[in-house]
Amino acid sequence: MIQKLQTNNNQHWKKIIFFLFLAFTFTAQAQNSVVGRVADETGPLPGVTVLLQGTNRGVTTDFDGNYQLSDVPPNGNLVFSFVGYLKEIVSVQGRTDIDVVLKTDMASLDEVVVVGYGTQRRESVTGSVVSIKGDELNEVKTANFQEALIGRAAGVNIQTTSTRPGAAPQVRIRGVRSLSGNNDPLIVLNGIPFAGGLSDINSNDIESLDILKDASSTAIYGSRGANGVILITTKSGREGQEATFSYNTYYAIKEVFSKYPMMNAAQLIQLRADVAANNNGVPIFGLAGDEDLANNTDWQDLLYGTGLQTTHDVSVQGGSEKGTYNLGLGYFKETSVVPEDSFQRYSLRAQVDQEVGSLFSFGLNSVMNFNKTSSIVGMYGALAASPLLSPYDENGNFLSSVRRQTQSDDSWIPTRNEIGRIGEGRKNQQLDYGSYNNIYAQVRIPWVEGLKFRINTGLNFRSSRDGNFTGRGVFNYNEANPSSGSYNSSNTRDYVIENQLLFDRTFADKHQVNFVGLFSAQHTEYDGVNLSVRNIPNEQSLWYNLDSALSEDITGYGTNYSATGLLSYMGRVMYQYDDRYLFTATVRSDGSSRLAPGYKWVTYPAVSAGWNIANEAFMENVDLVNSLKIRVGYGQTSNQAIAPYSTQGRLATRNYNFGSTFATGYFVSQLPNPSLGWEFSETYNYGVDFRLFNHHLSGSVEYYITNTNDILYGLGLPATSGVGNVTSNIGETQNEGMEFTLDGTIIDNPDGFTWDAGINLYYNRNEIVSLATGEDRNEGQLWFVGSPINVIYDQEYVGLWNESDPDFQYQDILEPGGNVGMVKVRYTGEFNEDGSPVRAINADDRIIQDPTPNFQGGFNTRLAYKNLDLNIIGTFQNGGLLYSTLYGSSGYLNLLTGRRGNVDVDYWTPTNTDARFPAPGGIQSGDNPKYGSTLGLFDASYVKIRTMTLGYNFDRDLTSKVGMRNIRIYASAQNPFVFFSPFHDESGLDPEITNSSEGNRNAATGVGNVSAGIQTIGANVPSTRNYLLGLNLTF
Amino acid sequence: MLMLVGLESCSEDILQEKPRSIFSPEFFKTELGVQGGITFLYENMRHLYGHEYYFSLLETGTDEYTYAQSADNNFLVPDLSGAGAAIQSDTYVTSIAWNTVFPAINTASGIIENAEAVELDESLVAEARFFRAFNYFLLVQQYGGVPLDLGSGELEFNNTAVRTSARNTVPEVYTKAIFPDLITAVNNLPVNPRLTGTVTQNVARLELAKAYLTYAWWLENPNNIPTYPETTRTDPDGHDVQWYFQQAYDIAVEGIENSGPYSLQEYYYDVHLGSNDRNSEWMFYADRTEESQIYNGADLGYSGGGGSANIAVWMATPNYTTISVDGVAAVQREAAQSYGRPWTRMAPPVEVLTKTFDNKDMDSRYDGTFVSSYRGNWDKAGVKEESITGANGLPIELGDAVVSFLDEHNPNVDYVNGANIGGGVIPGRADYVINPDEINRRFYPGLWKLGTYRTDNQGGLGQPNGALTRPFPIAKYSEFYFVAAEAAVKGASGSYSAYALINVIRARAGNWRFDNGEQEVRIADFSDELVAATPMNIDINYILAERSREYFGEQKRWLDLVRTQTWAEVAGTYTIAGNAATDHNPKQFTRTIEDYHYLRPIPQSQLDDLDMSEAEKLEYQNPGYR
Repeated sequence: MIQKLQTNNNQHWKKIIFFLFLAFTFTAQAQNSVVGRVADETGPLPGVTVLLQGTNRGVTTDFDGNYQLSDVPPNGNLVFSFVGYLKEIVSVQGRTDIDVVLKTDMASLDEVVVVGYGTQRRESVTGSVVSIKGDELNEVKTANFQEALIGRAAGVNIQTTSTRPGAAPQVRIRGVRSLSGNNDPLIVLNGIPFAGGLSDINSNDIESLDILKDASSTAIYGSRGANGVILITTKSGREGQEATFSYNTYYAIKEVFSKYPMMNAAQLIQLRADVAANNNGVPIFGLAGDEDLANNTDWQDLLYGTGLQTTHDVSVQGGSEKGTYNLGLGYFKETSVVPEDSFQRYSLRAQVDQEVGSLFSFGLNSVMNFNKTSSIVGMYGALAASPLLSPYDENGNFLSSVRRQTQSDDSWIPTRNEIGRIGEGRKNQQLDYGSYNNIYAQVRIPWVEGLKFRINTGLNFRSSRDGNFTGRGVFNYNEANPSSGSYNSSNTRDYVIENQLLFDRTFADKHQVNFVGLFSAQHTEYDGVNLSVRNIPNEQSLWYNLDSALSEDITGYGTNYSATGLLSYMGRVMYQYDDRYLFTATVRSDGSSRLAPGYKWVTYPAVSAGWNIANEAFMENVDLVNSLKIRVGYGQTSNQAIAPYSTQGRLATRNYNFGSTFATGYFVSQLPNPSLGWEFSETYNYGVDFRLFNHHLSGSVEYYITNTNDILYGLGLPATSGVGNVTSNIGETQNEGMEFTLDGTIIDNPDGFTWDAGINLYYNRNEIVSLATGEDRNEGQLWFVGSPINVIYDQEYVGLWNESDPDFQYQDILEPGGNVGMVKVRYTGEFNEDGSPVRAINADDRIIQDPTPNFQGGFNTRLAYKNLDLNIIGTFQNGGLLYSTLYGSSGYLNLLTGRRGNVDVDYWTPTNTDARFPAPGGIQSGDNPKYGSTLGLFDASYVKIRTMTLGYNFDRDLTSKVGMRNIRIYASAQNPFVFFSPFHDESGLDPEITNSSEGNRNAATGVGNVSAGIQTIGANVPSTRNYLLGLNLTF
Repeated sequence: MLMLVGLESCSEDILQEKPRSIFSPEFFKTELGVQGGITFLYENMRHLYGHEYYFSLLETGTDEYTYAQSADNNFLVPDLSGAGAAIQSDTYVTSIAWNTVFPAINTASGIIENAEAVELDESLVAEARFFRAFNYFLLVQQYGGVPLDLGSGELEFNNTAVRTSARNTVPEVYTKAIFPDLITAVNNLPVNPRLTGTVTQNVARLELAKAYLTYAWWLENPNNIPTYPETTRTDPDGHDVQWYFQQAYDIAVEGIENSGPYSLQEYYYDVHLGSNDRNSEWMFYADRTEESQIYNGADLGYSGGGGSANIAVWMATPNYTTISVDGVAAVQREAAQSYGRPWTRMAPPVEVLTKTFDNKDMDSRYDGTFVSSYRGNWDKAGVKEESITGANGLPIELGDAVVSFLDEHNPNVDYVNGANIGGGVIPGRADYVINPDEINRRFYPGLWKLGTYRTDNQGGLGQPNGALTRPFPIAKYSEFYFVAAEAAVKGASGSYSAYALINVIRARAGNWRFDNGEQEVRIADFSDELVAATPMNIDINYILAERSREYFGEQKRWLDLVRTQTWAEVAGTYTIAGNAATDHNPKQFTRTIEDYHYLRPIPQSQLDDLDMSEAEKLEYQNPGYR
């Protein structure tokens, strides 16, 4: 920038001399007045500088984008410039009326970064911040912004937790650090911490999304920012903008990405025969009940249909001289391939900003949404159903209810037909209403230049209601199974009040000072009520007449309440000298209600510095480098990552009956901890940002270390203490990682072909440095000092036992009662002198397996030719482990006994000895093959194309004829391809996880040997491949 | 704006927590809290009595049960016959008691400690003392010596986050905890229960008598079974073995003579008849209810196991639902005492039917324990047929036996895989039959006495998949006779001989009012015949056999065999046919029961949570499991 200015100065003098010369030469010529109108794609642009080239004579456009410049020589040039737009130079050529449309400058647009309590130019940022524009986000069409973020930002890992429509994925910024506390980042919507559900935000409403990753940037959010901060800014109007209407829509068809690979009838029969071979000639489960050799039913085909996804978004935005507004309405609907699985969202957005007089301004930013979610059937029934059963009666008609028996199981099997037939016999409806409102008032202090006081108030409300009903005998083998219904309702009320003192001024042209002082108070209250009953007399009443059931048919009821508060003081100074030396310092104090008296308050600092090397004089002549900055940051943050009331201990309740007298019992399940305090994280962050080759290549490299101390967790106490656990400050973890981002314009021809490409790549290594004193491992929680927080702790699968193995002679010692073809796991014990192992394989042979990927990332590329563009976005992961409950023993779909539907796996037989899966019917552990849990592990590497979009922008000439500013149509394929995935190769399934159990430890993943935070792929609603057509209109 | 500033002035308040929807431990110091603590002590019994895997632990591997066709490690392992892995520190079934009772012990100590402050009646404190002793007694029988100090001092309420532990010896646990608590309980408990099923003076007497008896055996140690932590077999209170057997006898006789509200039922059949639950013979039980799912603590419609659910009997129920005759699933899963949900995890060995219960005609206890015939109930599933064609082309009517287990071996049985469940045919009978000495792990007599009982079937199959709503027996009045008789066999003396005591039980067993197997009235009295068959010189083996006839499948057997140190002798071998329903060729199986098996391993989770050195942890573990 400096370099440019100096260049301009030199030219300036030359031009002035030249101009004087011209002036003398052409004084005789007539000088005209030129008028015109400056606009951009969306409307007139006020405030554009119009300069007669070579002079310092100029004007700015008025509110309607109009300008008038007198005394313009007919052969002069007019220079139109405006921040964020490409400079336009137009030769007058004798005209008196010149209209100009300015193009946005992509390189400069992302220069403004939201950093929390203010914005900064990208050049001035000293912390670690990733910014993503709403348009980029919208290239992937999903119900929530998190999913659209997958693979878009280095260091930001997003995992789908469920493939249900509308389900919000889990976001982890630079890994996990807290053992049992919350690892979710803070989301800030238009400046106010967001209290809502993560599916409440319509990604179409998002103008920009800025992610603060390191402690020096998140320190301003204090204890809430320990896991990173996502700042969401919704769209707003612009001052002087002409009212603009836009309409965006698309319609997508969703098809099953890949069916679960279940055995067909012949394969299941063969499996049972192979079981018998290993079980003294007797199958463990034979053809029985309703099974028939003539059947070969694919239950998945009978269940799946086509899902759809669609949106309609309309908005109007504009502005006056002193105010702006934006109003938007959105509708989103998604259904899945499984019947009656759906998510709908109606959203309303309103933004108004108004200056009053010269000192005051006021504004409102409000987002409201109403969601409707339904989900009534799971996948397990269809997958576990024997293909030897049939849904038809002897005449080939659908059974009126698919209740079928096998030797050991009585089951009702879900089919699309059955679910359609049952109609309201099974119904689920979850309604969520959220209202998030940010109101501010700001006053400029007239007697101190650059000083403002602002009061910000966030008033948020969210209510949720979940109704469930199952009719008598519905979805159940037992026709007489009583009906049941439940009603859950809860609401969250939340307010934030922030008093801010803002100061921003540049002294002596070179000293830029920005100060923010803050006092804030936040309070959140939650309460809820639930009731569930059975034997509802009139089934039409669904969950609306639960009181009609007998009181003895109440199966559950309760009320719930929690309240938390947080008080904070914060000060931040940003100082910048001559655009070269940058410095930021923050101090924050937080007080939290969740912690013990005397330990509630904490104060911590953060500092960061940057050096814009490219702005130094010695770089003046290095044309190659447009910008180059080195950043260093250090910050402390803390985390109150425990549930409210954790310091108080807990009395658990248990219900009992003395004959017909009912009573409730109490016992101490958790001890109080009167000295429970904060969990701390310290982060060191080092970064380099660069922009090279005339802005054609930009990128950054970052390295960080985060040490987290005094970790909060529920310390398990030995059974003999008589108490389950106590929440304590114990333990230490470390996260360390690197992030690379590179964006380039490879070909840039505005009138022809352009090609942009970007890639980001990162890794995060995480390690438990210490646990409670004297504890170097906690097997119950699967925490081990020196290992990552999330691990697999199990015996290690090394193959199958074969007679040809050199150590087969020791199988009797290692595996008493074992058999050929059983899973072979690594023996880690001692050996006798003769080489024989000293003991049988047992729990001591469990070893820690690290599931952390080597690196992960995403890529995107955009090819455009004239009005046509093609976008491709992908993600990848190298290394790491994923756990599939489909193949492992916890899912009950790979029993290998022939009991139920089984995954089609390559199992051991005497003629197929190098299989991956064990001999069926061999030694069992529970209902599964021994060491069945080891069968669920796969290399988690993959490369995936998430979306490919082909778009066309109609010519402006054409669009203006129909009164439009802009028309764009596009077609897109989501999830089209997966490459290099061992799991995909085995199963054909999507290797991106469908279930992460953290905070939701369920039977399928709560297996003792896999950490709750590990990605798992289970029997969820299958992931889909989507094909969509979309239209954007602006007028 | 003013309003907002106003809101702030009270902002310091928002840092104060007021728990509203949870109870903090402070509540435990109030009167209601202490009373709730007592309720918890009862509720905690549910997590053992009726718990399917705890049921397996105390039955599988004894002479009463072995694993059945659908068994997993929770059955294969404790069977010790080589089908499963060895019992180790991480074996789940052996950890259940350890991981269940310490919170109850601690709560009992808390009640005793807080009693004075809330002016709790002495009789209620005595209930807490009873439970503390009961739970310690349960631990000491399974694990050897256990800690009396949970972290805040010996027998004190622990409220510190302690992560170390030291085990006391067996005699310390008995003489410091179990005996003093039970003696106080006998003195302070009321004669009649406070509420249905609460403990009384006589319940405490029975526990005290059993504790004396068990401790006496431990002191005697006839088969040299090691104890841990190692200690000499001398009593710290200075009494000898005989003194303790005599105490057991005396207290038991005191219980018989001061029976309070308890008495023997006239017929053994009535003791376990679902409609007669909580009868006068049941002194102590883990209660459940059909009236409320919330207070039942387990799903009434479709229940898994674990926690407080009572599903023990499902383990011992063969999968009769695959019975098929004439194209009809003749025996449907029904919520009734002879049916219920079949898990096929545990089967009685042949010897149960041929030796323990050899006199099936006169001794009503076989009939009042097992399901000896599976009977047609297809109408309840909506199948219209009035009758179906069974064996020999003869009709089976609704309610008739479809498959029966014969009382005695009949050489004429021709196995034709009848009823699709391996049944045989004998001339003249429409039902398919199986000889008692030819049962297999797939199909065998179910356990009627603990079976499902519901009153809400409305003439249909009801809800057989819901957890049981019946109480599970813990102590019955009849056991006074057994305890006194066993003490007498071991040399105690008094007004009743072992012969006389056992004959009270046997005389009752000869009394019939209903034939459960035939499902018809049978008025008969074989009391004299049974008494006549009692040997004059009763020995411990006879007591054990008689106990099995009386308490078969009631989670007592392993404790009985371990107390008397006869486990290896009584249960070392057993006979049963294989996993296929058609297999009627029983084989003998041998169990490897080592001396160290008489103590269960300290659970791995306990060791993992201890902040102690590896050597100390090793020392903490029982020998044989290190």
